[in-house]
Amino acid sequence: MSSSDGDDSTFSGTDSGPVLGSKPIEDGFSQLRVGDLANGSANDGDAAAAAAEGSGDGEGIAAEAGEVEDGGAARARAGETEIEEIGEARVMWRSNSEGEVEAQASPSSSGYAGERGSSSGGSGIGEEEDEIEEVRSDAVSDSQAAWMPGKRHVDEDDASISWRKRKKHFFILSHSGKPIYSRYGDEHKLAGFSATLQAIISFVENGGDRVKLVRAGKHQVVFLVKGPIYLVCISCTEEPYESLRGQLELIYGQMILILTKSVNRCFEKNPKFDMTPLLGGTDVVFSSLIHSFSWNPATFLHAYTCLPLAYATRQAAGAVLQDVADSGVLFAILMCKHKVVSLVGAQKASLHPDDMLLLANFVMSSESFRTSENFSPICLPRYNPMAFLYAYVHYLDVETYLMLLTTSSDAFYHLKDCRTRIETVLLKSNVLSEVQRSMLDGGMRVEDLPIDPLPRSGSLLPRLGQSRPLTDSQESLKEAYAGIGGPAGLWHFIYRSIYLDQYVASEFSPPFNTLRQQKRLYRAYQKMYASMHDKGIGAHKTQFRRDEHYVLLCWVTQDFELYAAFDPLADKASAIKTCNRVCQWVKDVENEIFLLGASPFSW
Amino acid sequence: MGLSSVASNSEGMQLCIFDLRRGQNEGQELDKILFFHPADLPFSTQLSVIGLSEGLITFTRIFSPDAACEVIEAERHSHVFFEAEPDIWMVVIVEKNKEAEAIWRVDALRKVLKEVHSLFLMFHGSIRSLLEKEPAAGSVRSQLYIFIMDYLSDFHSSKKLQLPSFRDSLKERGTVQMLTVGREAAIEVQSLVRVVESCTGSPSCHSLLLFQDLLVSTTLSPDDTINLFTYTVLRLTPHALSTGLSSWSYLRKGSTASAAVTGPPVGSGTSLSEPFHGSHGTSAGDDHSHAMRPLQHNRWSKGKDGFLITDIWQAEPGSLVSVTPSIWLQQTEEKMYLCAYQHKSLTLIFLIPVSSIINGEQGILAVKQLVLENASLKILKVEEKLSKGWGGENAYHVSGYRYLLVDGDRNLSRASPPGKVTTLTKDSLLALSKLREEVDIEKSRTRWDNGGHEKDLEICTRARNNAWVISQVTRGKELYMVLENANETLLYASDAVQKFSNRYCNGAFSLD
Repeated sequence: MSSSDGDDSTFSGTDSGPVLGSKPIEDGFSQLRVGDLANGSANDGDAAAAAAEGSGDGEGIAAEAGEVEDGGAARARAGETEIEEIGEARVMWRSNSEGEVEAQASPSSSGYAGERGSSSGGSGIGEEEDEIEEVRSDAVSDSQAAWMPGKRHVDEDDASISWRKRKKHFFILSHSGKPIYSRYGDEHKLAGFSATLQAIISFVENGGDRVKLVRAGKHQVVFLVKGPIYLVCISCTEEPYESLRGQLELIYGQMILILTKSVNRCFEKNPKFDMTPLLGGTDVVFSSLIHSFSWNPATFLHAYTCLPLAYATRQAAGAVLQDVADSGVLFAILMCKHKVVSLVGAQKASLHPDDMLLLANFVMSSESFRTSENFSPICLPRYNPMAFLYAYVHYLDVETYLMLLTTSSDAFYHLKDCRTRIETVLLKSNVLSEVQRSMLDGGMRVEDLPIDPLPRSGSLLPRLGQSRPLTDSQESLKEAYAGIGGPAGLWHFIYRSIYLDQYVASEFSPPFNTLRQQKRLYRAYQKMYASMHDKGIGAHKTQFRRDEHYVLLCWVTQDFELYAAFDPLADKASAIKTCNRVCQWVKDVENEIFLLGASPFSW
Repeated sequence: MGLSSVASNSEGMQLCIFDLRRGQNEGQELDKILFFHPADLPFSTQLSVIGLSEGLITFTRIFSPDAACEVIEAERHSHVFFEAEPDIWMVVIVEKNKEAEAIWRVDALRKVLKEVHSLFLMFHGSIRSLLEKEPAAGSVRSQLYIFIMDYLSDFHSSKKLQLPSFRDSLKERGTVQMLTVGREAAIEVQSLVRVVESCTGSPSCHSLLLFQDLLVSTTLSPDDTINLFTYTVLRLTPHALSTGLSSWSYLRKGSTASAAVTGPPVGSGTSLSEPFHGSHGTSAGDDHSHAMRPLQHNRWSKGKDGFLITDIWQAEPGSLVSVTPSIWLQQTEEKMYLCAYQHKSLTLIFLIPVSSIINGEQGILAVKQLVLENASLKILKVEEKLSKGWGGENAYHVSGYRYLLVDGDRNLSRASPPGKVTTLTKDSLLALSKLREEVDIEKSRTRWDNGGHEKDLEICTRARNNAWVISQVTRGKELYMVLENANETLLYASDAVQKFSNRYCNGAFSLD
């Protein structure tokens, strides 16, 4: 989106890696950014703010909506100027390129193509509700077209019929009504629309209230106000309000991860501050996060998932990570795509699963991380929303990457050394090859659900030498279930361990052949989660739900939550029995599917 | 500005009706407002409420042209929308307050709006048609004001306006409750209905028969049945007539309701009418005195001949001569005379087309006479038979269950008696209200997604307090149930549903 060279004033000449000085990091950053950007955008002369200002009364708001309908007297051409600042917004240092400051790569050059065809369950590919409502969705979505990162339909705006019919919009705007991000369409062309959203929020606010949700037919408009930042989702998907609100929280978190909350100060200084340049080039991060809202259970479970590995293998990885953690690294995380291989935190430091999700999304969606080692400022919103940490990121192979987080801005070379040590040990102990094998083999499959309780030493990973020989009857059962899931019509399950903050989901087996079916199941779980976790009346204990697509069973205890999907004709009694067996199975193989002994997450 | 004063209002509720086709020029915005409660709110506040509503109706149509704004959920208030007639919107704003038990189900509130509008239609015809007759809208406003205030007076309990809350989750407004009648009694009822309708001498005559507050038979269309049933239960059944008397003394002591009922006090009357009428030169006071008040309490009583009489309908505005009531049928848009006859617990209502009676009151009197002569014996017999079979107010109690059964196709519902529902804990009722909200959303989605196709759904939840809260929707029928003393297994709970379904619902909710 922007060139990197125009932006050398601050960081160039620091060939020894980035140096920010010894001042508190976050202050240094916000000042640095605010100084340049706020000035640039003050004279923006945009109609959005003007329109928003005039909307204090009842007529104002109606009039404005009218304008939007009419196709845009209020539409402004804001922010055409500050392109040179954009690079600064997302600073990346490449250690091997003379301290060059680099902006985000353009969306089209992302490495996502490499992910296609991966066998991992719930992988990052999937259909989107990119479709327009009326389009016969089976024609479009069963085509299994891989999801492409980055922004699409930039040519649209709120006057376009196609834009209006998109199934799920996300907007970020400032409290003065300036657009910051829109999932579809060009932010600048959406200034008038953005002002309308702002007018709705502030109108209700002026009445001493706060708008949360507007419902109209199949559509929901969900609002989230975070200080000077307003987030809005307009959706006609079936997701419940609580889920959409949770997604807005994550989008806000993603923004904080990139900028820290100190961006609020920009708005204190100048309410009309234009934030778009600060987020320049990060479209791909947001679009990838939004995409994960339709396939990644971590987005609503608030838990992370691990790559299945033999206990000893994970221990070996943990041990070497622990070594570096003792040497001043705050968090050391080894991940394969969105699954954790191992993670270690310095004493008393704990990592919230949402932070991990946002961090992993940030790293995986940014092409530049893949090409070389990187040292980048990031903020973990649940850890400390005001401060930057520094993330050293390095891909050990195509899918496996190491993240070392520190508070120190000049730790680059130390972390580079740490990485070298870790990489050597991981290679020597075959961890990396085990990781790759696990990705190929996948995790738990409902067809493999043991009929009889296993001995405690049960293993999910027969190849590791601890294999349990399948009995004849199990073999034949397995064949019998082929194509129809597991016993008693079990199709899929998710088990979330509350005290570990981790979940495990079974692999998708037939009949979940298409992404469309997988997404529908994901949405059904999401709805179930919202239904079970009502904030007002407290969590329910059990739920059985049958509709035309599934039988869903949910069981919430103090220790775990189980979500299981069955054939809609499944028998209740045997479904319950099967759930009990799934819980037992998970306990039997917990050594391999969970990261045990990590510091408990105390959030 | 604006909405904060909602909160300070002691009732915490606002209700307004506005017409989007009116007041489109600047400075004339007040013209949009057809009704606003509380009427003494400053106009700026009223306008801001309507401005927000109108703004969101316009805004949501960008994305959802076929279904504009239905609800705004804010932190402290819910705004529930209902488009009563094209471009004529009703909005109710309720304050949320957990301590004060102000926890609402949107659909239940919308049904209140729908009900008052349907009743208004039945007595006055559509708001749009009234506006077309009288563009200045002075008397429309008066009619709406008095009608709605009379309607709302039914929600006053201990001086507070209490709209349906989570505690009413085992009720369904806008449905009819029926008496279960044995075969023999059914034949008697049939024959009674035939005799009554033949007495009227008109083929398009209709009748409605109630025992206590329960429907026994109807020959009206479903919508008209609901409206007339609702009105009968509100004002005409023996139960309604007797509570009307007791509330009369209460009203006379000067509660909020009586202020509305005894004609507008200077303050609210002028604030309601002045800005609209001043420019049109109509006197506000006159309009109020002319407005017909079919929902006013204590205006019906039982005459010596068994027919119910009222002075609500007058030969001409202001005259002392009262005439036979008449209503509009929704389906045929036909105007009908309404005659109600009561014998003990039995209320018989028959409707005669106004067009079929040539000589007015004389003609009606003749029909009534004919009915007395030909049907009174049958009425006695039917009443006797139904009384014998009647199990009392707990007739439909099923021990161990608290339930609501709704037949959406026939607009029927049956529920545990209110006295039994009150034994449920607050937690159970909250969980049920929440579950109903979830089902409401599913149902409405299905409606938008695939028109006629109905949703099949079964949800069985064990709440935190260990109560089972259950909902089943199948083939247009809905069952809601709370089992508080059930065993803890899911199988036990679904077994209980199964038994209930087999015994009381002809197996409608059984699996096989």
